[in-house]
Amino acid sequence: MIYLITALDAEARPLCDRYKLKRSNALPYTLYTGENTVLLVSGMGKTNAAMAVSALLGWRLPSPGDILINMGICGAPVNYPIGDALLIHQIIDGDRHYYPDILYAHSLAETSLICVDIPQSSPQEYPVDMESAGIFQAASKFFKLHQIGFLKIVSDHCAPDTVTKEGVIRLIASHLDTLDYVSGLLTDVQTDHALFSQSEREEIDSFKSHFTKSQGDMLEDALCFARLKNSDFSLDLFPSSLPNSKRERGILLENLITRLTL
Amino acid sequence: MKTSSPASPSKLFSHLYIEKSIFDHPKTEAIRTKFAASRVVLIDHYKEVFNRPNQSFSAQSQSKKLILAQRGGKFLHEGSQYSDGFDHQQFFYASSVMGCLYDCDYCYLQGLYPSANTVVFVNLEDAFAELLPHLHQDTLVATSYDTDTMAIESLTHQTQEWLLFAREHPRLHLEIRTKSANIKGLKHALPSERVTLAWTLSPQYIIDRYEHATPSLEKRLAAIREAISIGWKVRICIDPVIYTDTFDLIYPDLIDTIFSTVDPDSIEHLTLGSFRLSQSHLRSLKKLRRSDVAFYPYTVYNEMATYPETVESHILETLLAKATHYLPAQRIRTWQRQS
Repeated sequence: MIYLITALDAEARPLCDRYKLKRSNALPYTLYTGENTVLLVSGMGKTNAAMAVSALLGWRLPSPGDILINMGICGAPVNYPIGDALLIHQIIDGDRHYYPDILYAHSLAETSLICVDIPQSSPQEYPVDMESAGIFQAASKFFKLHQIGFLKIVSDHCAPDTVTKEGVIRLIASHLDTLDYVSGLLTDVQTDHALFSQSEREEIDSFKSHFTKSQGDMLEDALCFARLKNSDFSLDLFPSSLPNSKRERGILLENLITRLTL
Repeated sequence: MKTSSPASPSKLFSHLYIEKSIFDHPKTEAIRTKFAASRVVLIDHYKEVFNRPNQSFSAQSQSKKLILAQRGGKFLHEGSQYSDGFDHQQFFYASSVMGCLYDCDYCYLQGLYPSANTVVFVNLEDAFAELLPHLHQDTLVATSYDTDTMAIESLTHQTQEWLLFAREHPRLHLEIRTKSANIKGLKHALPSERVTLAWTLSPQYIIDRYEHATPSLEKRLAAIREAISIGWKVRICIDPVIYTDTFDLIYPDLIDTIFSTVDPDSIEHLTLGSFRLSQSHLRSLKKLRRSDVAFYPYTVYNEMATYPETVESHILETLLAKATHYLPAQRIRTWQRQS
C-alpha cells in the first residue's frame, strides 16, 4: 500500500487522476482511495498534518512493505529553480530535526527543508514548507524511517502570493513520473517482510494455542530458525491431532522443536 | 522521468552526517575529500541521527551512512565478561567508532545499537588523554571492540594513531581485532611486541552465510601471512564458532586450512570460543528476524545465551583435539561459561 499525503486539494487533484482514486468518507478528512493507494489531504500546517496522518494511519495500519510519501510544493531560495523536484533528507522544525532514511541511489536533488508555521516571504537557508515536521512525527510512529519519503516541488522563491491553484496543479502534474520513481525506489528497499504468510500465521497461532505462552515462544523461535535457515521449509510438521495429556503434549512439542532446529 | 540533479550517490556512505562543531576538523575534511560524491547533511549532535526511534537495522545495512562526531563522554570502558583480558592488570575497550562496516548476522552490535550506520568520533586525542592516568600499570586496550577499526582504517587512520601512541607508553598493550584483509595501514608502522593483531576466522561456508560484506577466508589468511612476515604479533580467533549441521566437517577443516599456510610457531595464540550473547542482545537480534543464528534454542545461564552444554563441549573438544595437532595446549585459549 502507498500512502500519499498532500496539504492542499490542488496538490491532490493530479494524483487522483493519475491513480484513479475515488473519494472516501471513512475519515473526517479529504480522503481518496484506490487499489493500492490511499491519498490524504491533511490541510495546511504541521498540527493539522500530524492529526490527519495519525487519523489515517490509526484507521488503516501500515504493513511492513508499505510506504508513505508526502508530495507537495515548497518555497525555496533563488538557487533552487522553480519546478525542481527535491528529495528531503532533513526536516528542521525549530530546534528539532527529523531525518527520513534515504537508502537508495537516485538522481534527484536532495536538500534539507525548514518546516515553518506561516508562509514565508523572506528567503531562508533552505526550502520551506508547513507540514513536513507534523507528517514525519505522526508517520514515524507507524512506519520505519526508510518507509517514509518527502518529495517537494519548488513553487516560488519565497513569494507565496504568486502561487496559484492552477500553478500548483501544473507543478504536481509535471512530476507524477518523479513520484512513481521515488515510490518505486522506496518500495524496493523494504526488507522487513513477514517470515510467514497469513495462512501460515493462522496455522501457527492455532497450534500454539494448545500450549503455554513459554512453550509457544519456544515453538515460534524454532519455526523462525527453520524458515530463516531454509526459505523452502514448509509447515507440514504439525500433527492433525494432539494428545490430551499435558505431559504428552510437552514431549511432542520438545520433539518438534528438536526436528525444527536440527 | 524528470530529474533535477545528475548525481547518483554511491551506496556505501552515500550520506555524511556531520556535526556542525567538527565540520572544519582536519579529520572531517580528510573524510569529506574521500567521499566527495556523498551528500553532506549538517547536524547538531550524532544522536539526532544514530539514536532515532524506528530505524530498520536490516534495511540500513544495505546502505550504511557515515556520521562524523565529537565524543563528549567516555571513550574507555571496562572490558566485558564475554571477552578475554589476557591477564593484564587493566583491560579497557575504546569506543572511538560505533557501528561496523561489516554485517555479521551474529553480531551483538545489532542488539546494542538502534542503527546500522557508522559513527566515527574524530577527537581521538581525547581518548588518549583519558587513558594517560591509567598507564602506570600494564593496561590492555582493545581498540576494535564495538566496530572493526581496520575495516575503515583507510578512512579514519585511527589504528595508526593508536600505534604511535602505544610506542610512547611502554605499559600500554593493544589488541586490534579484525576480519579485514587490508593491512596497508600497518605497513608504515613499526611492529611492536605490545601490539597484537587478532584475526577472526570462520569457515568460508559461515562467512558466506553469516558474515556479510567481510573478506573471504583466503584473503584474511593472506593478510595474516603478510602481517607475520613484516613482524607483527598475530592471534587467530575461531570465535565465535557458529554451530551448524556441518560443524564436524567445516571447523576442523578450517584449522587444517589455516595451518597449511600459516606457520603455527608464528602465531601468539589460537582462541576458540562458541557463540555467546547477552540475553537482552539476543532478544533484540530476534526482533530483527534476519538470521537463523538468533533463533537457535540456546540455553541461558547468568543472563548469557550460549549453546547447550553438550553442544558447547562438543565444539570445544572437537576443535581442541584438532588444534593440538598444530599448537601446544598452552598457546590455545578457550572461552567457556563460568559455572
